[in-house]
Amino acid sequence: MEFNWGLMFSSYAAVFTPGILFMICVGTTAGIVIGALPGLTATMGVALLVPLTFGRPPLESLSMLMGIYCGAMYGGAISAILIRTPGTPAAAATVMEGYPMAKRGEAGRAMAMALFASFFGGVVGAVIMTFASPFISSIALEFGPVEYFALAIFGLSVIISISGRSLIKGMMAGFFGLLISAIGFDPISGFPRFTFGMVEMMEGPPFIPTLIGLFAVSEVFNEVQKSGVTQQVKAKLDQYLPSWQDIKYCFRELCRSSIIGTVIGAIPGAGGDIAAFISYGEAKRASKNPERYGHGEIEGLAASECANNSCSGGAMIPLLSLGVPGDAVTAVLLGAFVIQGLQPGPMLYKEHIDIVYQIFASMMLAQFAMQFIGMAGIQLFARVIMVDRAILTPAIFVLSVVGAFAMRSNIFDVYTTLAFGILGYVMTRYDYPLSPILLALILGPMAEANLRRAMVISGGDPSILVSRPIAIGLMVLAVISLILSIRGHQKVEARMAEMEAQFEKAVAD
Amino acid sequence: MKRRTMLAGAVALAAGIIVTPALAAYPDKPVTVICPWTAGGGTDVLLRALAKAAEKHLGQTINVVNQTGGAGAIGHNAIRAARPDGYTLGMITFELNSLPPQGLVPFTWKDFDPLMRINSDPAALTVRQDAPYNTVRGFMDYAKAHPGEITIGNSAPGSVWHIAAGLAAEKTGVQVKHVPFDGAQPAVTALVGGHIKAVAVSVAEVKGQVQAGNLKLLGVMSADRDKIFPDVPTFKEQGVDVQFYTWRGLGLPKGVPAPIKTKLADAFKKAYDSPEFQEFAAKASLNLAYQNSADFTKFLDQNYKDVEAVMKSLGLAKK
Repeated sequence: MEFNWGLMFSSYAAVFTPGILFMICVGTTAGIVIGALPGLTATMGVALLVPLTFGRPPLESLSMLMGIYCGAMYGGAISAILIRTPGTPAAAATVMEGYPMAKRGEAGRAMAMALFASFFGGVVGAVIMTFASPFISSIALEFGPVEYFALAIFGLSVIISISGRSLIKGMMAGFFGLLISAIGFDPISGFPRFTFGMVEMMEGPPFIPTLIGLFAVSEVFNEVQKSGVTQQVKAKLDQYLPSWQDIKYCFRELCRSSIIGTVIGAIPGAGGDIAAFISYGEAKRASKNPERYGHGEIEGLAASECANNSCSGGAMIPLLSLGVPGDAVTAVLLGAFVIQGLQPGPMLYKEHIDIVYQIFASMMLAQFAMQFIGMAGIQLFARVIMVDRAILTPAIFVLSVVGAFAMRSNIFDVYTTLAFGILGYVMTRYDYPLSPILLALILGPMAEANLRRAMVISGGDPSILVSRPIAIGLMVLAVISLILSIRGHQKVEARMAEMEAQFEKAVAD
Repeated sequence: MKRRTMLAGAVALAAGIIVTPALAAYPDKPVTVICPWTAGGGTDVLLRALAKAAEKHLGQTINVVNQTGGAGAIGHNAIRAARPDGYTLGMITFELNSLPPQGLVPFTWKDFDPLMRINSDPAALTVRQDAPYNTVRGFMDYAKAHPGEITIGNSAPGSVWHIAAGLAAEKTGVQVKHVPFDGAQPAVTALVGGHIKAVAVSVAEVKGQVQAGNLKLLGVMSADRDKIFPDVPTFKEQGVDVQFYTWRGLGLPKGVPAPIKTKLADAFKKAYDSPEFQEFAAKASLNLAYQNSADFTKFLDQNYKDVEAVMKSLGLAKK
């Protein structure tokens, strides 16, 4: 499949018509709003709007869906930064740096960087998708159960990086997450485990309600506890774009994370949430100032936001060239393509190469639409943080409960949210990090199901785990990352202790 | 001005309330259809297309609500437990007959009032294009000659395709390893990547890869050949008498008054026959197989017995 420049230009021309541009903008705006609302994910947004595209011309409907996809990936960051609630699972890693920044009065700076990082990642993802599809798609098929198991193990090694001050507490949170991820159907035999006979527990702890409970509801409880002494967060909201200094400071991470994001996106089944966590962990490990992570380090925010948006471009690669969706959203998109009478895969390149290029073009334009619509929205959204806490806190609570219910229209999910809210509150009070639970919930089932699948295939022979080069590579990376992160952690601890000693000395003087 | 508007509004509202009971002909408010599977999945897309087409025949808005979880148990239970006033119905799927034998739900299809069957898709055995066998027999002979080598992917443990593959292996007396994935798509991907040897899923789910020349169909487990791939023989033609289908249909909670049931059946039948729905089904490669309430009820009874027997012999049913 060699690159056709002429066709690329004519595709851009086809997309650059008022009608299509309008559809992209509508999609992007809808996507940002859906992404920002906790409980509504990019997957749901696309799924709910697919029926609207029945009977519309392919380019029109696909460009709108591209807009939703890209917009929602950024939208999740808005609520993550402002109200500590990841709007989508992919924004879970954004909370760790974004919310502390907003609390410090830097909501504007964080929002501007999140938007720019999303844009940057999205553009890099779209460029790689345009030029390297055939090459990257060959990697995607190499991933079988063994490779997925190795990838999950590598991802779990990031727990060290997101543990906060105490490694032991981080590990405890991580193992707790792995433990509860074992609830529900056994992935191979199909019988339910640890459900106490409750139908609602059969698929394990529902992810979105757990996420909302751990982050949003726990913060609501925390605010309630402080009632009476709440101070208004003062936020400077004069920024649309990050300052040149911030961009320069984060540039290395932006480049690295957008590549990591695209590659992880291209692996079928691994989506923006995993990409964001791995990029965040890598950014922290490579950083000169790892002690600033967890306290509002803009570099970490840039890494996670950049990765989850570049992931979209990556996920489109196997969808278009192999007919294999790269993540949950593209799985829904696959359906949308089929409804349009287009079957993604090698045949699409042969029969409808024009559509393929038009999708490249609309994906790219969706990034620009996202940057401009996002800039227009920053002022509006960021004002949320200026709202009196006495009004904002109950509003977040209501939003959380509604968001938890919206996913499956099930009251059980609301109870889950409240239970995890209480758990999150207690854990935060005693300095246990919350993110390892999430990471374990995402990767635990992936590790378990694929390990067991590999065992079924090999007939119980564990040597299959070291029989494939990609898997060995990932396992080695996991070990290296583990060792380096632990050593890095010790260094951070030493530096923190030093700073605290100085501070105490200064106070004593 | 403002007061007058409010007054007018109040009068209109009151009039509405008084008049409504007089006109209380079903349906006078939006109808809800429960989908036990996630938004954007095959069942959901089908249901939304059908609901959209049925709206104008019913004369009311039809809202599709996804109540998912518990491998379909939650949604099916919600349909069963809904108020039988005709304002809530739902899509029932094959799992309604496979969940009870597994001991996962306390109800069976007998707790529902079946409205109509919509589609019925057979399982197909699909392998990689470069595989050394071209027929179901050849595949089974290879499996016998190479014990422990054949792995067949399916969409979930205890799922319709797991049962179908188990049944085919049992009938031919070969030993294969069943590898459950999270849905048909990942299983097909793993087959294209060469991580497993075969998949047993529906024709629609492998259509793209077969047309692209990556995979080949060895046989379909239906009575007649497939419409899209008429060259592919059925299992029966190849001497393996296995037929296995998944199905979807509409179901009501028990106790819906007969006139309302007739109205719903009419509206959805018209929607089923509408050109837009037929065109949708063709694009989505669905094997449409309408049955009215009475036939669907008979079908469900037989299907339940078959599924239960197969699951027991495969060790998938609760003892």
